[in-house]
Amino acid sequence: MSAAEEAVEQVFWQALNDLKEGSERPIEDYLRLVPRRQREELGVMLADVLLARGPAPAPGGAESEGYRRAVAVVDEVLGKRGEAGILPGALRAMRNARGIEPDGVVARLAADFGVEGEDGRRALARNYHRLETGRLLGSKLSRRLLGSLAAVFEVDPAEVLAAARPAARPPSLEGMPAMGRGGGVRGPGPSHPTASELPDPEVELVERLFYGGPGA
Amino acid sequence: MPQFDPIEERAIEMLDDHQLEALRAKTVAADDERFECVLWNLCLRGVAVIERVCRARGEACGLSDQEIELAIEDAAARMLLRLSRVEPQPHVHALAAEIAAACVERPWPMQRGAPRLAPDAPQLRLVSGLDEAIESGKVRPNDWENS
Repeated sequence: MSAAEEAVEQVFWQALNDLKEGSERPIEDYLRLVPRRQREELGVMLADVLLARGPAPAPGGAESEGYRRAVAVVDEVLGKRGEAGILPGALRAMRNARGIEPDGVVARLAADFGVEGEDGRRALARNYHRLETGRLLGSKLSRRLLGSLAAVFEVDPAEVLAAARPAARPPSLEGMPAMGRGGGVRGPGPSHPTASELPDPEVELVERLFYGGPGA
Repeated sequence: MPQFDPIEERAIEMLDDHQLEALRAKTVAADDERFECVLWNLCLRGVAVIERVCRARGEACGLSDQEIELAIEDAAARMLLRLSRVEPQPHVHALAAEIAAACVERPWPMQRGAPRLAPDAPQLRLVSGLDEAIESGKVRPNDWENS
């Protein structure tokens, strides 16, 4: 073995030891330790080792429980993106993170819009649940409602508005009622009142908030 | 999540933070379906900062591990909201740090009260001749019944 080859081997093992101990230096530092003609050979050897070793871990303990939970939130919110954009998933994630029950959100909305009756509150609860589960059209949500939700979650109303923008290719929705009562597949039961049962002004207000469009 | 051309996805992943933010602003405004892929990649770059800032600030504020993890989840959701806006946003690390700090610093139900200063110690001084004045009846000791 020539002196040059010996130098390559020695530097290579030094680099390996440094890697094992987590005290590796820039590759250029190792290359400078061998004659110019041997640098390419050493570079290839070190590249093979680094390739086998895989990417370095992300800084800041990126694999911690907190990191995994944050990625799970992003994944879940984006996975539920649909006709109301990412708003349903984001509302649910923020609510869970802050320990707010759905009833708490409904109570705040009821107070904001002066909904005091039992029917009106039930309509609010029902529609808020539909919103969180991605069953409403973002384009039909009123600005007043989005503003109130922004206040509940202490975020900028413009962010809530932007988040409600529908996905470019959303999953198909079943039975989406126009204005909450016209089109789509309608099932029997109290959740779908007939026209004659709509005089309750609070229920009507709630319907406008959730189905009446931005200006409602 | 819509399926993208893997080559295009890889190309998006390889963009630097500024290029990715520029693409985000462009795709969100154009209602481009690649927006979701761009948003995912930007968020991945932000969550590491969120985790680090929430952990450091949360510990400094006396939050429990569970509260810190809830702050992290809250911040992740808020970052998504923020990145949905059409307006250009700051560098994703700066944005993530700002949101993480806000999520930690909001009021926490179980948070212990802020430390308070103890009241000032009373400043006492001796009054010469007081004992004689009490004995002679010129002054009377303080008494809850007559004061």
